[in-house]
Amino acid sequence: MASHTPAVVMDNGTGFSKLGFAGNDSPSFVFPTAIATKGPAAGSGGSGSGRPAVANKPSYLTGGAGPGGHLSMKRGTEDLDFFIGDEALAAANGPGYGIHYPIRHGQVENWDHMERFWSNSIFKYLRVEPEDHYFLLTEPPLNPPENRENTAEIMFESFNCAGLYIAVQAVLALAASWTSSKVSDRSLTGTVIDSGDGVTHVIPVAEGYVIGSSIKSIPIAGRDITYFVQSLLRDRGEPDSSLKTAGEIKEEYCYVCPDIVKEFSRFDRDPTRFVKHLVTQPGGRKVSVDVGYERFLAPEIFFNPEIYSSDFLTPLPTVVDGVIQSSPIDVRRGLYKNIVLSGGSTLYKDFGRRLQRDIKHLVDARIRASEAKSGGARSGGLEVQVISHKRQRHGPWFGGSLLGQTPEFRSYCHTKAEYDEIGPSIVRRFALLGGPGGS
Amino acid sequence: MLLLDYQNVLIQSVLTERFSGAPPVNIDQTVSDFDGVTFHISTPDSKTKILVSIQVKCFNELVKYGAQQVLEREYGPYVVAPENGYNFSVQVDLDNLPDDKEARDDLIRRVSLLKRNAMAAPFEHAFDEHHKLQEEASKFTSEEAPQGVREGGQVMAIHYREEEAIYIKASHDRVTVIFSTIFREETDRVFGKVFIQEFVDARRRAIQNAPQVLFRTDPPLELQGVPGVKDSGNGEIGYVTFVLFPRHLTRQRRDEVISHIQTFRDYFHYHIKASKAYIHSRMRRRTADFLQGKCNPQYKLPTKVLRRARPENEEKERKTASGRTFKVQGS
Amino acid sequence: MSQSLRPYLQCVRSSLTSALCLSNFASQTSERHNVPEIEAQTSPEVLLNPLTVARNENERVLIEPSINSVRISIKIKQADEIEHILVHKFTRFLTQRAEAFFILRRKPIKGYDISFLITNYHTEEMLKHKLVDFIIQFMEEVDKEISEMKLFLNARARFVAESFLTPFD
Repeated sequence: MASHTPAVVMDNGTGFSKLGFAGNDSPSFVFPTAIATKGPAAGSGGSGSGRPAVANKPSYLTGGAGPGGHLSMKRGTEDLDFFIGDEALAAANGPGYGIHYPIRHGQVENWDHMERFWSNSIFKYLRVEPEDHYFLLTEPPLNPPENRENTAEIMFESFNCAGLYIAVQAVLALAASWTSSKVSDRSLTGTVIDSGDGVTHVIPVAEGYVIGSSIKSIPIAGRDITYFVQSLLRDRGEPDSSLKTAGEIKEEYCYVCPDIVKEFSRFDRDPTRFVKHLVTQPGGRKVSVDVGYERFLAPEIFFNPEIYSSDFLTPLPTVVDGVIQSSPIDVRRGLYKNIVLSGGSTLYKDFGRRLQRDIKHLVDARIRASEAKSGGARSGGLEVQVISHKRQRHGPWFGGSLLGQTPEFRSYCHTKAEYDEIGPSIVRRFALLGGPGGS
Repeated sequence: MLLLDYQNVLIQSVLTERFSGAPPVNIDQTVSDFDGVTFHISTPDSKTKILVSIQVKCFNELVKYGAQQVLEREYGPYVVAPENGYNFSVQVDLDNLPDDKEARDDLIRRVSLLKRNAMAAPFEHAFDEHHKLQEEASKFTSEEAPQGVREGGQVMAIHYREEEAIYIKASHDRVTVIFSTIFREETDRVFGKVFIQEFVDARRRAIQNAPQVLFRTDPPLELQGVPGVKDSGNGEIGYVTFVLFPRHLTRQRRDEVISHIQTFRDYFHYHIKASKAYIHSRMRRRTADFLQGKCNPQYKLPTKVLRRARPENEEKERKTASGRTFKVQGS
Repeated sequence: MSQSLRPYLQCVRSSLTSALCLSNFASQTSERHNVPEIEAQTSPEVLLNPLTVARNENERVLIEPSINSVRISIKIKQADEIEHILVHKFTRFLTQRAEAFFILRRKPIKGYDISFLITNYHTEEMLKHKLVDFIIQFMEEVDKEISEMKLFLNARARFVAESFLTPFD
């Protein structure tokens, strides 16, 4: 049966889960990775936080067995009474349900919740019999192998899925960039800048393998930009400065400018650059919010963090340059040449162009300095290229969809039969999908 | 989630969003549904014309039992020539929607039930046949009824999955629906047996008016002589028989009954998987308890973690260890 | 606890306590090696007589002592197919996490469901009576867990069946 069905691609991120079928150009469902269960929400923002003894154990052993989880309480059918995604958020607003986020910092923290989240994703939303489909799941870089084994245990033992492939998000994001016209060779070497809602990662990938020691994260991402827009609106005393309005303004009007000072004067010369945003407040009242300098100031916090944060001051281009400089010398050229953007917070207009220019400046300055020191030697120069493409928003998902539809995808998967024979440790290793030898 | 939805959530959400007046966009999604059904939602010609196509494995069989007519009845003006590679297509024109909200919602509902309606044909056929036979049979007493009336209609076989099929047979006092089920996994087979047994018993115990459920591992009498019915011999294939009585077959209830019984197989498998998930979570909890000696506080496995957490153990332990072997591990 | 279980566990407890008399012992067959002799089986003279404590034909414990290691294998009660599957699932789940249990053997001895291997290093590091307590607790809990899971499965099946059939009513 599984011979002709499309593979299911699930990208479960900290904030949002992207679900769909391979071969499509966008996920069928995008909803928050949230699950609402009967009973109160997880205490102080973490599973098992009520009992320090649990914290000593890695979560794959306890499964995030929270406090107050007496076996006797779980005798009935409570485990069927839950909602996921947007329905979970709605249910949590009402009485009786508490909301949980099974994934934290990209890694699954609560396997009980995750298992049920998957169960509902498969049977309610995707509506497939897992026995008929191959599955492509994603994981963050540096995911411990035990987490992979747990995933396999759930996918194979609970759901009997026909086959499983677990790919690293950054590698899939690289694969997604193959759709860009700027990419000539389908290589899996490059630097991925993945900026979602909570955190921004810079991940160097060489030949499909993540260079773990060089990964850097930046505590500035989509949420911070929204907060920044909100604070600007508040400072000006706009009639509506809710987080929702700030988010809308961010998504609709923001862009990256080449130079802030010039951009300020351009705004002053050309008042048409100021726009008005209409907000319908709850209750039906309509107010108009002025949108001004935040149009270019908000994304600017990536390039000049000091305007927003006082504790993190390194601009994104410097971080990217540092990451590549800390990678092995023989792959650096490839990493500079293929800097791929992924995630919602990289979608601002001209984000890629500005990043490319700034990195180029850093690189050229260094080359000049070393030329001067060497006393006359000439450098051949270094190509810096930042790739933005149409599928950036759900980059990892799209990469998965792209690779999942290739005819050889199935041969890269581990099948249920292999799992039954070897056990969960089988998923510690996967052949590199789309790598050399592949398409 | 207890019961499975009858409709396809994606079609429903896409149409709801489009109908709400959002700016038209290109759509091109190929999605699966249970039982190897494939949908293709696309806007091939213009952004306002949404084409929904369905491909069902057993469409030829369904057509034999009147699927085309059922679908045409349901979708009337929206039916278009089937898209290449698919069995049936409907097209909705966003510029030409029904005016009132209710009619639109009804349209969304109907399109999202495409799979259900395609599969409904043999059921409807059987229900009609039953009514006909019932009428005829009422003219006779049970003994003298002619052979044809007593035996009932032909068995209709729908091979909706590669290895599983639904058989439907109408007679004058009942409609029999038989699902053949197969389990590849040992655990699933055992769990499935427990579940089926409860289906069989439920009627006796609680719900007297429910259809009668029977289970056996060899083909039931109704299926004798039907081509393609296999007796695996080792109990791998099971046959679940639902006997629908006239009270389930009335006009008012028929749509609901057809929708519901179609979901049996997937419902059944979903719950086997959900209980495995629950058992997993129990085992996780139990493992954690073992590791912490929490279930019974007087027992504690003195693991390193625990020892570090309890300095008062440290002292005692060292004495034991050093007294025993002279070897103090400076951990 | 049922009447016959208590003496069974008591017997396992005392046999185990006496078997857990271990000392450091270097391998006699290969230089500078120190292996659990019960696993290596290379020097018959350091192996002691294995002992089976059986409650009935379905429940028994095999204790194989040696000079520096003891292997304990447990056969868990399996009255029917369901219990068999549940036991299999549970023991597999545990052995999958053997790393955290220190004394759990990653593979059970043939004919048994789960095995533990306690070496002299374990008895040096951990309290001996606690190790015994752990094994006994494990045996008690496992039986309880299996029967609870079985109860759950039946209850769930009933609930599921009734929920499906109710709309017909």
